[in-house]
Amino acid sequence: MQRSGFLIGVARRLVTGPPVYYVWMGLLLAVAAAGVASYSVQLQRGLIVTGMTSYVSWGFYIGNFTFLVGVAAAAVLLIIPAYLYDFGPIKDIVIVGEALAVSALCMCLMFVTADLGRPDRVWHLIPGLGILNLPRSLLGWDIVVLNGYLFLNLFIPGYILVHAYKNKPVNMKFILPFILLSIPWAVSIHTVTAFIYNGLVARPFWNASILAPRFLASAFCSGPALIILLFQIVRHYSKFHVKNEALFKIAEMIAIAMAINLFLLAAEFYKEVYSDTHHLSPLEYLYLGLHGKGKLVPWIWTALGFNIVAFIIFMVPATRKNFATLNIGCVLIIIGIWIEKGMGLIIPGFIPAPLGEVWEYLPTRLELLVTLGIWAIGLLILTTILKIIIPIEMGEFTAVEANSGGLEGRERHSAATHA
Amino acid sequence: MSHKKKTLRKRQSTSPDEAGSRTAEDRRGSSGEKNLVLPDRRTFLAGAAGLFGLMAMSSCSWQEFFQNQFTRMTKKEIDETVARLQAEYKEKYGKDFVVGTESPIDATLFAYGLDIQRCIGCRRCVYACVNENNLSRDPQIQYIRVLRFKNGNMDLEEADIYYDPEEVPEEGYYYMPVQCQHCANAPCTKVCPVRATWTEPDGIVVVDYNWCIGCRYCMAACPYMGRWFNFSEPVIPKDEVNPNTHYLGNRPRMRNVVEKCTFCIQRVRQGKYPACVEICPVGARKFGNLLDPNSEISMIIKTKRVFRLKEDLNTQPKFYYFFAT
Amino acid sequence: MNGKLGIPKTALPVLALGLMGLFLGLGSGSIRAQSREIPPEAKYESPSEKDIMETDSAREFPVPLTPLPKTITPCRACHGPEKDFPVNMKRREDLLVHKNVKLNHGGVRVWCLDCHNPDDRNYLLPLSDGKPIRFEQSYLLCGKCHGTKFRDWRNGIHGKRTGYWNAEKTYYRCVTCHDPHMPKYKPLQPMPPPQKPWTPKETRVKQ
Repeated sequence: MQRSGFLIGVARRLVTGPPVYYVWMGLLLAVAAAGVASYSVQLQRGLIVTGMTSYVSWGFYIGNFTFLVGVAAAAVLLIIPAYLYDFGPIKDIVIVGEALAVSALCMCLMFVTADLGRPDRVWHLIPGLGILNLPRSLLGWDIVVLNGYLFLNLFIPGYILVHAYKNKPVNMKFILPFILLSIPWAVSIHTVTAFIYNGLVARPFWNASILAPRFLASAFCSGPALIILLFQIVRHYSKFHVKNEALFKIAEMIAIAMAINLFLLAAEFYKEVYSDTHHLSPLEYLYLGLHGKGKLVPWIWTALGFNIVAFIIFMVPATRKNFATLNIGCVLIIIGIWIEKGMGLIIPGFIPAPLGEVWEYLPTRLELLVTLGIWAIGLLILTTILKIIIPIEMGEFTAVEANSGGLEGRERHSAATHA
Repeated sequence: MSHKKKTLRKRQSTSPDEAGSRTAEDRRGSSGEKNLVLPDRRTFLAGAAGLFGLMAMSSCSWQEFFQNQFTRMTKKEIDETVARLQAEYKEKYGKDFVVGTESPIDATLFAYGLDIQRCIGCRRCVYACVNENNLSRDPQIQYIRVLRFKNGNMDLEEADIYYDPEEVPEEGYYYMPVQCQHCANAPCTKVCPVRATWTEPDGIVVVDYNWCIGCRYCMAACPYMGRWFNFSEPVIPKDEVNPNTHYLGNRPRMRNVVEKCTFCIQRVRQGKYPACVEICPVGARKFGNLLDPNSEISMIIKTKRVFRLKEDLNTQPKFYYFFAT
Repeated sequence: MNGKLGIPKTALPVLALGLMGLFLGLGSGSIRAQSREIPPEAKYESPSEKDIMETDSAREFPVPLTPLPKTITPCRACHGPEKDFPVNMKRREDLLVHKNVKLNHGGVRVWCLDCHNPDDRNYLLPLSDGKPIRFEQSYLLCGKCHGTKFRDWRNGIHGKRTGYWNAEKTYYRCVTCHDPHMPKYKPLQPMPPPQKPWTPKETRVKQ
C-alpha cells in the first residue's frame, strides 16, 4: 500500500516541474537515446568504430572514467569539511553529495562497460561464477571498491531517506559506522584507480609515485566544483538550504587542492625535464608535441590556463565571494581537470609506444556520441534522484502525504510550491 | 504555477479515486498503471539496450556464452568445446580443422635466441608467422616487429619499423625483431582481471580467447608491444588459413579479444620449431629447451654474450639476443 | 780431489743439494699442482671435439643428401689420370674452362687448389688424417680455416636448422647459404613493411 503511494509520488514528482525541467529532461533523453543507438553500432561492428588502436589501446572512455571516479570520491569526502566548518544541516550536504556520487559511479560503470571489448562476458568478473583475479589485478580491486562504494552510497542515503519518508527517527548508532566507512572508502576508490595506471612498468608516464597524490588533489578540485554548482541549482529549485559561506568555504578548499595539484605538476615537470631521459617523451608529446605530432598540445595548455585562472579566482576572496566569478571558476576548473585527467593522462601514457613509435589518437564521432549518451544518462540519474530525495529530505514527500493524497496532499504540495 | 494546477486537475479527472476510497486496489486499478509507465520507460530503454547488445553479439551460441575458462574445464568440457569449435571453423572456412589441446611437455622451459649479427631484416619471419598463426590481414596484425637501428645505438625512439629498401641488409644499419618475450615475471598476466592470460608450465604465456573480456589492461602493461587487439572481425583468406591449430594458440580468433605470439604452441608441443625459426633464411633465430644443457639455446647462453630487452624492468624475458661473430 | 768412485768430492754436496731440491720440488710441486688446479668452468670443452678427434673425417651430421646440382658430372671425367695432363699448381686468374666461376674468397689467400683436391677432383683437400673430404662433408674443409664458425655450426648457434627441436633435425650446410667461390651472403629483397595504424587524419573505412 505504502509502496504504491511512494511510486505514485515519485512518478508525480518526476513529471512535474518548471518548464526548464521538461526541456532539460527531454534533451537528456534525446542525447541518451543517441548514445544508446551509437553503442549498439559499436556492439555490432566492434571497437574498430572508435579511434583506439593497438598502440593507444585506451582512450576517451577510460579518460572520462578516470575523471568521474575522482568526482565520485570527492563528492563524499565533502562530509569532512561540511562537518568541521558547519556548512548547514550536514545531512542535506551529504545527501546531495551522495546523489552526485551515485550518478558519477553509474557513469563510471557505464564507461568501463562501453570500453570493454566483450561486455557479454562481464559475468567472467563475478567471483565464484567467473574468476576475479585478486589480489594481483588492480582492475579486480577496482571492481570490488567501486561496487562497494556504490552500495554504500545507495545504502546510507536510502536508509536515511526511508526513515525520513516514514517520519521515523534515524538510528545514528547503526548508520554512523557506514558513514565513517565511506570516507576512507572514497579515498580508496580513487587511489585504486590511480594504482591501475601506476603499477605498469611499460608506461613510464604513469609509473611515477606522484600519480596517486595528483589524482586525489585533482579530484578535490573537480568534485567540489561540481558540488558548488549543484548546490546552487538545487537551492534555486527547492527548499534545500545551504549557506553561502558553505559554498565559499568549499571554493577555498578547491584553491588549496589546486595549489597542491599545480605544485605536483611542477614537481613532475622538474624531474622529467632536468633528468632528460626518454621518460621525458610523453610529457614532451603532451606539452610541446613529439616528432611533429601534437594534437593534444592546445588542449593541455587550455587546461593549464583554466586551472591557473580558476585557482586565482578561488584564492582571491573578492572573486571567490562573487557568485558570477565563482561559477565561472567552477566551470573552468571542471573543464580543466576533465582535460588534464581524462585525455591528458591516458593518451600520453601510450605515446611513445613501448618500441618507440609515436601514433596519435582522437576520439571518433561515434565515441563522442556514446560518451555524451552516458553523460546524459548519468545526469538523468542525478536529476531523478534529486527530484525524489530533496522533497523527502525537506519533509514535503512523506508517507503520510503520499498516502493521504487528495485534498490535504494537494494543499500541502501547493502550499510548499508557493512558498 | 497554473500549469502545475492544470496537470493536477487533469489527473484528478482521470483517476476514479478522489477524496473517497483509499484502497490500494482502487489506486492501482486505473491511474496507478498509467502512472507506472513513466519511470519504467527508463528501465525499458536500458533493458532494450542490453538485450539489443546481447542480440548483436548473437554470433556466439549459448554454449560459447557459458563456456568456462580453459584451466577450469573438465576433460569432457574441453572435448565438447573442441568439437564445437572444429564444427564452427569448418563451416566458416570450409576446411577440416584440428583444435589441439596438447599439454606441456615434461621438463621443458622454452626460450628463444636471436642473433643480431645475422639478422638481415628481410621480414620473412613476420609473414611466416602471419600464415602459420592465422593472423588477421585486415585490419593487419603482425606479432613480429622488425626494428632497424643505426649502427652505434639501440635507441628505440630512433628505430624504424617501416623501412622499405630494395635490398637488405642496408649499409650502416642493423636489425632486431621483437615479439612477445614470454616473460617469466610477466607484467601482463598479473593485471588481467579475469585470468584470461597466464603462463603455462613450459613458459609460454597464453590467452584463452573465449574468456578474455577485452579490457586491454594487458596491452597497457606489456613493455614489448607483444599483444594485439582484434578491433573488428579478423579477416583471413580462406585458402591461406592454417587448419592445424591449438586451443591456446593459432585457432582463428573472434573480434574484440587480445592475441599474441604463442611460440607456435601448436608446433612446439609436437616437437617442431616455430614457424619463424624455420623460415629464417640466415638462421638468426634459435629455439629450444632451457632445461636441456645441450640444446641450441643453452649453448648460446653458455658460449655467447646474451642480453635481454629492458632488463631493468625485471620482466625476465625468455628472448635472448646475442651477437655471434 | 777425486774420491774412490771417481766422483770429485765437490760433486757430492752438489748432488745432495740437487736431490734435495728435486725431492722438495716434486713434493712442493705436487702440492702446488693441487692448489693450482684449473677450475672446471675456466676450461672450455666443446662437447663434440672429443668425438671429432676420435672418429675419422667421415663423421656425419644430419645434412641434406647432396649439395651439388645434377648437371655437374664427376670431375674425374676431365681431370682423371687417363687424360694424364699434369696439375698446374701455379695460382692464376685465367682458367681454360670453369670460366663462369668468379672467385672472391679471402682475396689472395685462397685459390682453387686451396680447397679442391689436385690429386682427385672428385674430392676436396683432406684433413690431417689424409682421407680426402667428400663434397657432402664440405663443412669439414670450411672448418679448417673457420674453426670458430664451424664450432658454432656444430652447436647450432650458426646456420639454419629445420625439423624438430627435440628430435631429428636437418642442418643446412655451409655451402647452402655461402657460395664457396663468393661466400658473402647475398642481400635479399625484404618483404613489405607493416601497414601504418589508423591515425586521426585519415578516415577509416568501416565494414
